[in-house]
Amino acid sequence: MNSIDASEHYELGATELSPSLLTVIIDTNPHAWAALEDSLPLAKAVANILVFINAHLACNYANEVAVVASHSQKAAWLYPVHNDATSQESSDRDGDVSMNGDGGAASQTNKYRPFRMVEEQVTRKLKELMDSTHSADLRGNTSMLAGALTLALSNINRRTIAWAEEHGGASLDDAAAEGTGATGTGPSRYSASDEDERLQSRILIVSVSGSSNSAHQYIPVMNSIFACQRLHIPIDVCKLSGDAVFLQQACDATKGVYMALSEPRGLLQYLMMAFLPDQRSRRHLVLPTRIDVDFRAACFCHRRVVDIGYVCSICLSIFCEPPPGNECLTCGTPLDVGNYGSRPALIQRKKKKKKRANGASAVGTPMSRGTPTPGP
Amino acid sequence: MAAPTSRSLEYLEGLPGTTFFKLYQQPSTALAIFRRMLPDLAKCFVMALLYLKDPLPTQDLELWVKTESKKQRDNALSILGRLHILSTTLTGENARAYMVTNPFASSLRQALMGSEDSQSFGVFSQAPGESLISIADLDEYARGRWESVLGYMVGTSALSGQRDVNLSKGVKQLLQAGHLVEIRDRRVDITKDGFGFVLQDVNTQVWHILILYVESAEAIGMDSVEVLSFLFLLSSLELGQSYEKEQLSSVQLRTLADLADFGIIYQETPEATRFYPTRLATTLTSDSSALSSTVGSSLTGASAHPGASGSGFIIIETNYRLYAYTSSPLQISLISLFTTLKYRFPNLVTGKITRQSVRRAIDMGITADQIISYLYSHAHTQLRKRDASLSTSNTTSIPPSVLPPTVTDQIRLWQLERDRLRATAGFLFKDFTSLQEYQAPCQYAAEIGVLVWKSDRKRMFFVTRHEQVAAFLRSKK
Amino acid sequence: MADSDEEYVGDVTDDEDDFQVAQSDRAQPRKRKQRGGAEWELSRTWETLVEGADGTISSTVEGLLEANKRKRLLKDTTPLQRGIIRHLILILDLSEAMSEKDLRPTRFLLTLRYAQEFVREFFEQNPISQLGVLGLRDGLALRVSDISGNPTEHLTAIQALRTQDPKGLPSLQNGLEMARGALFHTPSHGTREVLVVFGSLLSSDPGDIHQTINTLVADKVRVRIVGLAAQVAICQELCSKTNRGDETAYGVALNEQHFRELLMDVTTPLATQKQSASSLLMMGFPSRTVEPCPSLCACHSRPSRGGYMCSRCGSKVCSLPAECPSCGLTLILSTHLARSYHHLFPLRNWVEVPWRRASSSACFACGLPFPAVPPEAQWSAIESHTKGMSVSSRYECPACENHFCIDCDLFAHEVVHNCPGCQSKSAPVVSERMDTTA
Repeated sequence: MNSIDASEHYELGATELSPSLLTVIIDTNPHAWAALEDSLPLAKAVANILVFINAHLACNYANEVAVVASHSQKAAWLYPVHNDATSQESSDRDGDVSMNGDGGAASQTNKYRPFRMVEEQVTRKLKELMDSTHSADLRGNTSMLAGALTLALSNINRRTIAWAEEHGGASLDDAAAEGTGATGTGPSRYSASDEDERLQSRILIVSVSGSSNSAHQYIPVMNSIFACQRLHIPIDVCKLSGDAVFLQQACDATKGVYMALSEPRGLLQYLMMAFLPDQRSRRHLVLPTRIDVDFRAACFCHRRVVDIGYVCSICLSIFCEPPPGNECLTCGTPLDVGNYGSRPALIQRKKKKKKRANGASAVGTPMSRGTPTPGP
Repeated sequence: MAAPTSRSLEYLEGLPGTTFFKLYQQPSTALAIFRRMLPDLAKCFVMALLYLKDPLPTQDLELWVKTESKKQRDNALSILGRLHILSTTLTGENARAYMVTNPFASSLRQALMGSEDSQSFGVFSQAPGESLISIADLDEYARGRWESVLGYMVGTSALSGQRDVNLSKGVKQLLQAGHLVEIRDRRVDITKDGFGFVLQDVNTQVWHILILYVESAEAIGMDSVEVLSFLFLLSSLELGQSYEKEQLSSVQLRTLADLADFGIIYQETPEATRFYPTRLATTLTSDSSALSSTVGSSLTGASAHPGASGSGFIIIETNYRLYAYTSSPLQISLISLFTTLKYRFPNLVTGKITRQSVRRAIDMGITADQIISYLYSHAHTQLRKRDASLSTSNTTSIPPSVLPPTVTDQIRLWQLERDRLRATAGFLFKDFTSLQEYQAPCQYAAEIGVLVWKSDRKRMFFVTRHEQVAAFLRSKK
Repeated sequence: MADSDEEYVGDVTDDEDDFQVAQSDRAQPRKRKQRGGAEWELSRTWETLVEGADGTISSTVEGLLEANKRKRLLKDTTPLQRGIIRHLILILDLSEAMSEKDLRPTRFLLTLRYAQEFVREFFEQNPISQLGVLGLRDGLALRVSDISGNPTEHLTAIQALRTQDPKGLPSLQNGLEMARGALFHTPSHGTREVLVVFGSLLSSDPGDIHQTINTLVADKVRVRIVGLAAQVAICQELCSKTNRGDETAYGVALNEQHFRELLMDVTTPLATQKQSASSLLMMGFPSRTVEPCPSLCACHSRPSRGGYMCSRCGSKVCSLPAECPSCGLTLILSTHLARSYHHLFPLRNWVEVPWRRASSSACFACGLPFPAVPPEAQWSAIESHTKGMSVSSRYECPACENHFCIDCDLFAHEVVHNCPGCQSKSAPVVSERMDTTA
């Protein structure tokens, strides 16, 4: 025992740390995958992701994993499928509940059992999901990202509480029990606890569909992103096709890794190199991050991406031009539009006004607001 | 606490390269070594390189790691080198490059992707389960076995009369061979090493025993490589499942029988056609903390309440009073090693840590660090919770500690009272001709973490390992 | 009076009903109808404990814990007009009274620590708002940090206060006048608020504080006070007048935890009391750029490589939100705006599920198994004693009709502000069809 040297001290530090929980959100929009068919079909991509998941599980005995599918019309768990949840859903799934199935178990002993469990379940649930998809659901090129993120976060919350209870580490629940009342105490108690003492969670989004149509999800997605930011959960994005502005913003806000793959075939290597290291290892690594992040906003009226916009001071809705009738389209408040809508001719008018005001004060000021040009 | 990794690591490092070659043939071994022996950063390196076709140039790897983490990087690379996992080659442009060595790489890939028919992860028993054994029963069995081993060492087997498990001769011999106990006039006496052993957490103890077992395997005519890889195989099995014995070789069968004595595996009878791994086996590759919450709790006699979360049962206050919620005679006798016990209740003993009691323990060969680590690993959930809540509300930069700092400091001070010299085995480098010649290897030694002491004036430094420093010196010339 | 205020009052009455339930069979406690500072009545927690059938109190304790968790969720969730763009002056008492040790470690140190937490949380919740900090020491009001939207400036300024000891008497009037001056120029679409942390029991003022109060009312400045010692009449009057008779704006901290809660309450934007001038603001949404060689930023004239280009005039600023130094355009990230949306579109409260409808077996979001439904005969027997807690441990979202556990309920309402169920299905029509066909 006297022979502890420096190197062993370091190892001690490395092995004593808490495990990590990786949540993979797979965008399973069939439409978008069909477009990728030539370079990387879904089956191959899933196989790659499964190897990646195994690698994550291999890193630590206690590492955990969760997989959520963000499908075109709904978000669903792929792993873990909660025993009872399946029985609940079984009504619409032909009662197929054999999930811990030992069916093919004996034949497959060439694989570490935890790995196989994940694989079997993910592939089976994915197949069920695909089978239950109707052609009518395929119209949009979107996916239910907000739902998938929310499910992932709920699971992370549950696992963090469970882990803390088991280990008596920094427990979120603890703080929850003693605090009452104020909303303000909520968020800060999540961010305050010691980093290394907790279950380390992170989220990886494998995204294929574009964001153009998903604007109705904007607020829920943003809410999820801020939740991640508060809980210090990095969101990594592996973008296989398309480009989503708010995913870039998500990575930027949560200090995650954003990569748009130029060569989708090399998915596995990208995953292994850039996305496998957990938060602790990332402290030592130089990570690929995006330098220029698109922070422009989409307006609420026409979904145009704007860099100068008009914001309602009551509800913070963004408009690309003063709304018609000077009434906010979201909250209906009459707005004082100011001079924004006016044409450059304004200066001339102003001069006139000035002269008039100087000359005859009787004309009065009502005109000084400047008649707002009716917004087109 | 450092023991599980470092001890098994030291043992493995001592093996010749050909042994590694044989060991890495099995996917389960590759996986276990990857998971258990490597620091975080090394795992990242291995995984990043695993699916790369060409070796990764050294420079690229250096660019990947932040400059301020150079020490961790070198440490990771050095461990990978010592375990023969990473090797350097030359690329086409004559640049040095890293690659994962072959049997390891292919085995690990197999483990991840599960190709081919290697049956490296055990064969499930196909026989219709006549009496399937539950996980709770397995835990109970493992606990009983392991406690009886510890009880034998501490001499409490008489106290715990209710479960009188006779230890086999092999176990006793192994404990003796490991100098954990000595037999004097037919009486079992625990040695200094033994005291250190019993105070460690369970995972560390299991590893300790297993390494002893592997070391002694050669002596009784077994191939240590085969035994070792079988151990790694066991560690990758699934708790609560039964496995076929048919495919096992004679050496493995013999190992199996011996491990059953420790409670690491379970078989109904020695002749049974199948066996069950217990939690002691399946958590071999886990961190000590992951194990302590599961087996640990059952081993502390808390198994009567399966719902009870957390493993700890010891509360220690800043006034040195200690309360232990346990009825296990083993734990009580362990605590009494360094505590003056006052009262005993059906499920609680109380006592006080005093200078006298700690001195007595130190006289027996227990170190302060062992006492503290024992207290730490068995600290009650309340202590940990309090610690967590303090750490959230305190803005001061004092790192939170589960045990009261006054107590840990005092225990250390009591040890220091008598323990003023400490020996570190190692190697002294001296007689450098110039300051430059001295500085470069000295700095290198510091980076790889083997430097213990240096004196710039005398141009001398002292390291715990000399191989890499020597290689560095040679490469300089 | 705005509807929000009424709602809050209603909340308080609920609490007091609790007290009554707890204490009605014992000696009648004297109830003080006065609100705000008067929260002295102790709740006798031990009296609410009822032994369960097995002779232990564990079931009751668990129920209480759960109800406690849930209590803070039962806020009103009707979308309210809130003043999202806020201008707030935080006034800290730095007088002798703050060196009292009744709050640990001292009132002074605790206040500074909580003030820092407050600043962080304030900007977390109100990213496009402005904050300034003042101190009351030795009869003078002193400027700790100017009104600005940058949290780090305030944090370092508050940190710097630690080196000075509290001294002298405070002057509430001086502080309020200075705050009024600082808020005088703020635009009319934002709110004007003052938050005072007041440890003394007196105010040594140079003039008539009632005049100051009147001018504050005229300037539409709303004052909230957190008292640390005891209720002070002038504070009560000040808060009540500036908040149109609402007395809840004045709270006296009972203990450290309560102090924190009172402070953190203020981070939630106030509901607007009446139609204040609302206007359309022009804002720029710049993108981040990184240049190959450093250039000077327009805000601090410091060379830097990264930065944000003003979308109108192209000047570079180093951090957002900010006002473009050259053209005056408000520059902001769209994410900053999005951060406030959950105040405007709050998630609806979930309802308790009686056994009758407890068909689900596990939480929809996290998969935690629910307790099984007992036979019908026992339904009334296991009726919960605690308000706000669901007998079946299930909570249902009224929109998507999924069931959730208490932890997910808490998490969804406090942190994510999304319903996992509603977000996982697209339009309700589509999902219904999918349920029936799939």
